[in-house]
Amino acid sequence: MTIRQFAFKNVFRNKRLYIAYFLSSLFTVMIFFTFALFAFHPTFSAEGFNQYAMFGMAVAGGIIYIFSFFFVLYSMSSFLQSRKKEFGLLILLGASDRQIRRMVFMENLLIGFLATIGGIATGILFSKAILLIAENILIIEESLPFYFPTMAIAVTFISFILLFLCISFFVAFILRTKKLIELIKGDKQSKGEPKASIILSIIATILLAAGYITALQVEGLDVLAAMIPVILVVTIGTYLLFTQLSVYILRYLRRNKLIFWRKTNMVLFSDLSFRMKDNARTFFMVAIISTVAFSAIGTLYGLQSYLTKGVKDAHPFTITYQPWDGDNEEEVNQDIETINKIIETGNLNAKMESVELNYFNIEDDNYLIVSATDFNRFAMLADENTVQVEPDEAIVVEQSQAALMQGKKASEILMGLNVPLTDGQKIQPSTVIQSEVLPAFYGMYIVNDDKFNQLGEPERTDYTVAWQVQNANTDQIIELGRKISDQIAYRAVVAEYTIFEINRGYGPILFIGLFIGIAFFVSAGSFLYFRLFSDLDADKQKFRSISKIGLSIGELKKIVNRQIALLFMSPIIVALLHGTVALTALSNFFNYNLTLEASIVLGSFALIQIIYFLIVRFFYIKQLIKSIS
Amino acid sequence: MLQLKKVSKIYEGKVAYRALTDIDLDVESGEFVAIMGPSGSGKTTLLNIISTIDSPTTGEVKIDEKNPHQLKKNELAKFRRNELGFIFQDFNLLHTLTVEENIVLPMTLDGKRVKEMKKKAAEIAMTLGISPILSKRTFEISGGQAQRVAIARAMIHQPKLLLADEPTGNLDSKSSKDVMEMLVNINKQEKTSLLMVTHDPQAASYSDRVIFIRDGKLHSEIYCGESRQAFFQKIMDMLSLMGGDSSDYSSIRV
Ligand SMILES: Nc1ncnc2c1ncn2[C@@H]1O[C@H](COP(=O)(O)OP(=O)(O)OP(=O)(O)O)[C@@H](O)[C@H]1O
Ligand SMILES: [Mg+2]
Repeated sequence: MTIRQFAFKNVFRNKRLYIAYFLSSLFTVMIFFTFALFAFHPTFSAEGFNQYAMFGMAVAGGIIYIFSFFFVLYSMSSFLQSRKKEFGLLILLGASDRQIRRMVFMENLLIGFLATIGGIATGILFSKAILLIAENILIIEESLPFYFPTMAIAVTFISFILLFLCISFFVAFILRTKKLIELIKGDKQSKGEPKASIILSIIATILLAAGYITALQVEGLDVLAAMIPVILVVTIGTYLLFTQLSVYILRYLRRNKLIFWRKTNMVLFSDLSFRMKDNARTFFMVAIISTVAFSAIGTLYGLQSYLTKGVKDAHPFTITYQPWDGDNEEEVNQDIETINKIIETGNLNAKMESVELNYFNIEDDNYLIVSATDFNRFAMLADENTVQVEPDEAIVVEQSQAALMQGKKASEILMGLNVPLTDGQKIQPSTVIQSEVLPAFYGMYIVNDDKFNQLGEPERTDYTVAWQVQNANTDQIIELGRKISDQIAYRAVVAEYTIFEINRGYGPILFIGLFIGIAFFVSAGSFLYFRLFSDLDADKQKFRSISKIGLSIGELKKIVNRQIALLFMSPIIVALLHGTVALTALSNFFNYNLTLEASIVLGSFALIQIIYFLIVRFFYIKQLIKSIS
Repeated sequence: MLQLKKVSKIYEGKVAYRALTDIDLDVESGEFVAIMGPSGSGKTTLLNIISTIDSPTTGEVKIDEKNPHQLKKNELAKFRRNELGFIFQDFNLLHTLTVEENIVLPMTLDGKRVKEMKKKAAEIAMTLGISPILSKRTFEISGGQAQRVAIARAMIHQPKLLLADEPTGNLDSKSSKDVMEMLVNINKQEKTSLLMVTHDPQAASYSDRVIFIRDGKLHSEIYCGESRQAFFQKIMDMLSLMGGDSSDYSSIRV
């Protein structure tokens, strides 16, 4: 047996110990490969695909790669921690530092090699499904057919062999031998509770509270200003929460014999605090990484919904046409003719309305005033409520988009003015309504038809035409939109088509964001898995001896269940809270309600985590029970 | 062979604890010395310091005129490989390896030829009576067998000094008798110096000399005379003189 053989035997005969490290490496490779598979797809490399998207993809690839590096490094070093005793023994038997480093290096390279191959293989296995998903998120016309991803394989293989080579060198240095006695005692030595101070625990509470309150209070542009400080404060707060506050609470529970000595609590709590030092760091990392994942995906999803909703709200009609200031009547008529023709050739039915929008001078500013009839024509076309305007009143119309603007709301200004008539009379504005049927970004008045004729000469006149297409499906309208935007750029807007275009441009960003978010989330899961299974042997031993004094299987399940639930759920709950606050701040920023989007994103992550927890718990308990009986 | 001069050990911690105080000890080449003493008296600490697992707070350790605690890392590794053998009470075998592989591990580290290692392992297994289990994994063998494997591993490279911490602690009286006879054999035939911590007066009576430690200090020593039986009696007397009844000494702790 040579050192090399020894290294190989170590890996192959000690599968369970290595499997966690192997699997998480494999997963990392798989995520990267999937990304490459997608990025190198021939459809994209064909010219014409958005250059920015390609650039974004390259950046994202880089981020995933760097993250993989640190992730594998972390996995590796925590894996080596669990093997201290073995190293101590080898040193005692006379192994030199170089020999141990060489052994670890070879082991690591072997695992890295297998993980790279395995990750690529699994990636290929799932590639069809992944391409299908990508196709849907990306909204690209061409489908993404399966292809043999030579380039993706090559890039992944080289990148990761390099990565593992680097890490193998790295790790060999991390392994600088500590005192032999520490190595040999290794697993027996108590890791113990980190020191918990009341002051730091209080600071943790204050920091978190301050961060949360600030994030929830600020609105509009202030959100951007507050973002960095809040993130810092909350991150530090989270760290202290896990290293100080939780330890403090545990210690309090321990001191309270009524709780601590009750039934199985002793086993549960003593263990928790015993492992708290390791757990605290893992909890912190998992919480932060998950928060990043939740917030990133939530933000992207929320942003998309905000953008598309904005377009939909501003354009209640299928087609809206607005000429520009300099356009003469002939051109306008020609455009309208063109649109009508396009609708006809598409075999579609459409109702059309047009209106002149007149601006009148009130106190040195121009304001849009329309007659009730004009407004109602458009309201009917949009299938919205019509208004009834009395001769002595004016209704103020506000648009939801105007809220993004700084300063006073349009309605506030308009409600403070009177509408003067040519006979010297003045009409008082009565109520404010919300409506988007006519383009009035700065708000407008609706007045009674009779009174409208007494307004005098308008200062300026705009023109707007709207079509509402009947019984057409989305595809037909998008096709319509494509033709119209080809022929009459900018002046005519087909809302459905604009949304389609936004989604299309947005698809790659969303996809990349989703990818990175999921990669982060999955690795957070691996951290937890590592944490748990590095204690499996200790747990087995512990439960074997406790079960001898009479611990039923049911009680064991209860203890382990709580233990794992705490491990898996507490960082995620913190991350969900952080995410909720972050998304609330985002929705304050846009003044746009994101409750639905946030619930979907956070809810799905919570669900995945619960499923993950149930699966892991099942296998963990099974292993424990098997070792006892 | 082995010289300790005024070796002291203080464990730093919340409260510093003085585990050993000014230990002076000389072991001749080929001598078999047993160390006894009540639980917590510092025996394991002493052995750890000699075996270079731990370092003394003050004082000097010399093995073959060399102070292992002052060697450079690589030299120390070589020194451990060539001069020292260590038998733990809880065996400390590597469970990824078979019995045979565990035994040849020290030679592997030395880069010996496979053929030579095979031959050596077979020989030693024969002497220790573990030939039939050579290809088994460590979790498939009994405690007594594991102890013998640990002994085989500790002596396959013919160390000059063999250190054993309660090698019979986990064994029944028949097995511990076997193990002791093996150790004596090695000691006599290979001229290996042997330092063994034990709570078992029966095991101690195989030695040439027994050293008693109490509260981290050398208490006394007795030499083996003509008869092992008389030696055993003297050991028993000394133990009861030191206080505590002899049943204390059958506890198994490392
Ligand atoms: N790492 C440590 N830190 C602090 N004190 C220690 C440490 N290791 C041992 N001690 C203390 O040093 C004393 C001697 O310990 P040692 O293990 O040498 O005893 P021992 O003679 O081997 O006992 P036993 O016969 O029970 O194995 C004990 O009182 C023990 O509490
Ligand atoms: Mg001891």
